[in-house]
Amino acid sequence: MLDFKINSSEIDKIGKFTKDEKDFRLKNLNYFNETGFPSKKNEDWKFSDFREIISKNFKRLNIELVKAQNKKINFIKEFEHNNIVLINGELVSSNFEFEEKKKIKIKNFPNNDFTNKKINNPLVHLNHALSDKGYLLEVNDNYKFRKILVIYNLYTDKLNENILNSKNMIIVGKNSELHTLELTVNESKNFFLNNVYENIILDDSAIFKNISIQNEKSQGYFHKYSKNKLSSKSNYTSFIFPAGLRFNKLDLEFNLEGKNSECNLQAASYSDQKNHQEIKTRINHLVPHCKSFQKVKNVLNMESKSVFQGKIFVKDVAQKTDAYQISKAILLSEKSEFDSKPELEIYADDVKCSHGSSSGSVEENSIFYLMTRGLSRKESIRLLVKGFLNEVSDEIKNISVKKFIQEKLDNQLYEY
Amino acid sequence: MLEIKNLKVSVDKKDILKGLNISIKPGEIHAIMGPNGSGKSTLANVLSGRNGYKISGELKYQGKNLEEIPVEERAQKGIFLAFQYPTEIPGVNTTNFLKTSLNKIRKAQGKKELDTLSFLKMMKEKSSELGMDEKMMSRQLNVGFSGGEKKKNEILQMKILDPSLVILDETDSGLDIDALKVVADGVNTSRNKNKSFLIITHYQRLLNYINPDFVHVLADGKIVKSGKMELAEELEKKGYKGIN
Repeated sequence: MLDFKINSSEIDKIGKFTKDEKDFRLKNLNYFNETGFPSKKNEDWKFSDFREIISKNFKRLNIELVKAQNKKINFIKEFEHNNIVLINGELVSSNFEFEEKKKIKIKNFPNNDFTNKKINNPLVHLNHALSDKGYLLEVNDNYKFRKILVIYNLYTDKLNENILNSKNMIIVGKNSELHTLELTVNESKNFFLNNVYENIILDDSAIFKNISIQNEKSQGYFHKYSKNKLSSKSNYTSFIFPAGLRFNKLDLEFNLEGKNSECNLQAASYSDQKNHQEIKTRINHLVPHCKSFQKVKNVLNMESKSVFQGKIFVKDVAQKTDAYQISKAILLSEKSEFDSKPELEIYADDVKCSHGSSSGSVEENSIFYLMTRGLSRKESIRLLVKGFLNEVSDEIKNISVKKFIQEKLDNQLYEY
Repeated sequence: MLEIKNLKVSVDKKDILKGLNISIKPGEIHAIMGPNGSGKSTLANVLSGRNGYKISGELKYQGKNLEEIPVEERAQKGIFLAFQYPTEIPGVNTTNFLKTSLNKIRKAQGKKELDTLSFLKMMKEKSSELGMDEKMMSRQLNVGFSGGEKKKNEILQMKILDPSLVILDETDSGLDIDALKVVADGVNTSRNKNKSFLIITHYQRLLNYINPDFVHVLADGKIVKSGKMELAEELEKKGYKGIN
């Protein structure tokens, strides 16, 4: 069994730090070492015993920093875009050719908030202790991006049982607007663990739209904790298309802190082999008149497993909250599994909150209908699955971006 | 075209068709009328290949044993079933579906696949003949379509796929007079000497517009009477009970 304790000397290997930062890292390392990787005894990990998964698949964990190499990136040609390039989580270049550069700040992300408390996710503490890369992107007030920003997230073939800890932060100023496409490109051949901490802050009336896609076959084990703050009248839309990873858990927290803020989260994923795909959300309605919408769709094949743990929390003062959550799964094989745990915790009395969850196989009637139109059973199922998943990507407004995403998503189904 | 001899079909040990005979030659239109529960839809399902039925007797399409032909190949070989209740397929765009379906069938028949432009041109022509709103074609297949729209969409598929044997399973049910005329026009304009139709219906109404060559009465799993259009008129007057 792998030893999960990590020696404090590892922190010194990362770099020299101020006393505050060193203390912060040590404190968090202790938090991590107290529990180690989370096991299913932890309620938030009840469907995914991460400790077991790691010890089964990793012989060691290499904490050493993997220096970014210069890599040729295949930039998207289908539409004009700004870009930043991350290699194994490290920011290596950025290009904002379509924007007013003085309105945008981009830099390597040094953390300067050393005030965290212990939480129920040891991987967050591990990140706080060891993170050594990432980016900070700040958009000034009153600036609307003209073109989408593509964040190329490249993982190289040099990775071998490495653990990557990175921190990213995006701040969108008052009345500003930013659209991003986070594209993960996986050249990795061996197992590695990617542990990301993300912090997104939307100021008043800011608009942030993000599309995130990872669908290449990879030996990566991914965990991302994302903390999102929505100020008044801000609007956050996120489309997530995760697939192809051996393990992927997105732990997303949205704090609706300003009145009339809105958050729209949609995910569609196709899993096969023994892949594990998990989304955990916590939407905190903390003030009145906010809206949240969550739609999660999964298609599971072979021995894959998918989990959705979605929580809506409504504080007593958060009257007139409008919160909705739905998760749906199609199971294509008897060995696949979908676990869903919707939760509502409501302390206000004048709210509209609902949730739903369903899972099942593909409708035989639908398959038959398509087959009577000349399609084989396999083609019919593929079309139905595609239709099921496309309901999410169809909502992308930019036509060339939508086309790009849908082509990528179609390709992942050809293996079926 | 279609030769059915002594067809017996049961579901879960319940006999539904009990020795049905019918022979349809190229170019003919046959109508099967019958009360609820007489086995009309079962016949349509068996012909299109839906599973779950125990079948005996002879079922021949273009001289070949139909039972040995899988569902999608029946479609590729020219059998088309217009559903009584067309299935809603969320997320699948109607135009894309029609193009995929047509090209699958064309490919199986050794014909050249149609490119998008020629397909769209053809679809536009055929859908406007049926008075269908073009916007419908960019919607999800049958999702949120009214009853009439769904049935028109079936007829549109029939016109696009150009099958040899068309089975209409109560396509007239739930249609208003105008939609009924559109459906009938769809059939009449598709009629030719190589194409056969089997029209399953409760009422004479649709037949007034289509004018079938033969009318059969199906009751309790058998054809109890066959005749020409006059039989349909007699049925309308006397009801099914008055026929035996």
